[in-house]
Amino acid sequence: MSTFLKVILQNIIKGPSTIKYPFEDSLAPEKLRGKIKHNPDACVACHMCEYVCAGGAIRLQESADKKGVDFVVWHNSCTFCGLCEHYCPTNAIHLTNDYHTAHLQEDKYHYAERTFVMKQKCTRCGEPIIPLSPSTVEKIYGKEGDVKGLSKMCPQCRRKVLWEGGVIKK
Amino acid sequence: MTELLQKIVKKSPWIYRINAGSCNGCDVEMATTALIPRYDVERLGCKYCGSPKHADIVLISGPVTAVVKDKVLRVYDEIPNPKVVVAVGICPISGGVFRDSYAVAGQLDSYIPVDVNVPGCPPRPQAIIDGIAMAIEIWKKKF
Repeated sequence: MSTFLKVILQNIIKGPSTIKYPFEDSLAPEKLRGKIKHNPDACVACHMCEYVCAGGAIRLQESADKKGVDFVVWHNSCTFCGLCEHYCPTNAIHLTNDYHTAHLQEDKYHYAERTFVMKQKCTRCGEPIIPLSPSTVEKIYGKEGDVKGLSKMCPQCRRKVLWEGGVIKK
Repeated sequence: MTELLQKIVKKSPWIYRINAGSCNGCDVEMATTALIPRYDVERLGCKYCGSPKHADIVLISGPVTAVVKDKVLRVYDEIPNPKVVVAVGICPISGGVFRDSYAVAGQLDSYIPVDVNVPGCPPRPQAIIDGIAMAIEIWKKKF
């Protein structure tokens, strides 16, 4: 009897454990894998995310005007497994903790994250290339940064510049 | 009398679940949404029922496998009109990871008119509550 009363008292003090969602917002843990956010400035369009995607939800395709690369994640095929975030070499993909995924049928084929990765011209020959993000440049070239401007050149020009000048002799 | 009943019935849609070849992940989440006091979908006035003949909102999970397709359609036809269909999980919506498999008949909306989609693998209970809330709104308009 006493334990019974104790439980009742405890429950009265604690209050109901039911969350008030959808009338109030419910917090999600920071590491919850929800909707994907893509950062086109950091993306180098290496197609790694497309390759590892379990649900086949990611597509990277050259745009019609050839000025960049279209990145699309269709959330209706995404398993939210996080492989793309794990394998992304430049940390361009991040799975946010946004779990509000319910939507109406007419939005089915629009329910996607679409970004556009712009190409820039090579500083030496002018061929369009996808530039590296500042964080990746720092990762590769160290704190002093890209002194020779190699990160803004196409692979052929980079090879030529390195051959002419070399990395060690300045 | 009928008008009064129609007014009242709008506040309590009954929910029915169909497993169209699901891996049980989404089914567990749907059971969680209903049975665990933390989520408690019955606050919205709905209740899980055991027979399709009592149902108003139907939650369908699973990629609609070739074996289960006819059975799903049969059970779906037993649900009285007006009814609202919620596709839970990515499998009924797009086929998910089972897409293009020989054992999968295809997306759910090529056989059944779907109203609300709740993607996720499995979706969070809160997302399912969201989907059910949307379905209730649609269902109220169907009278």
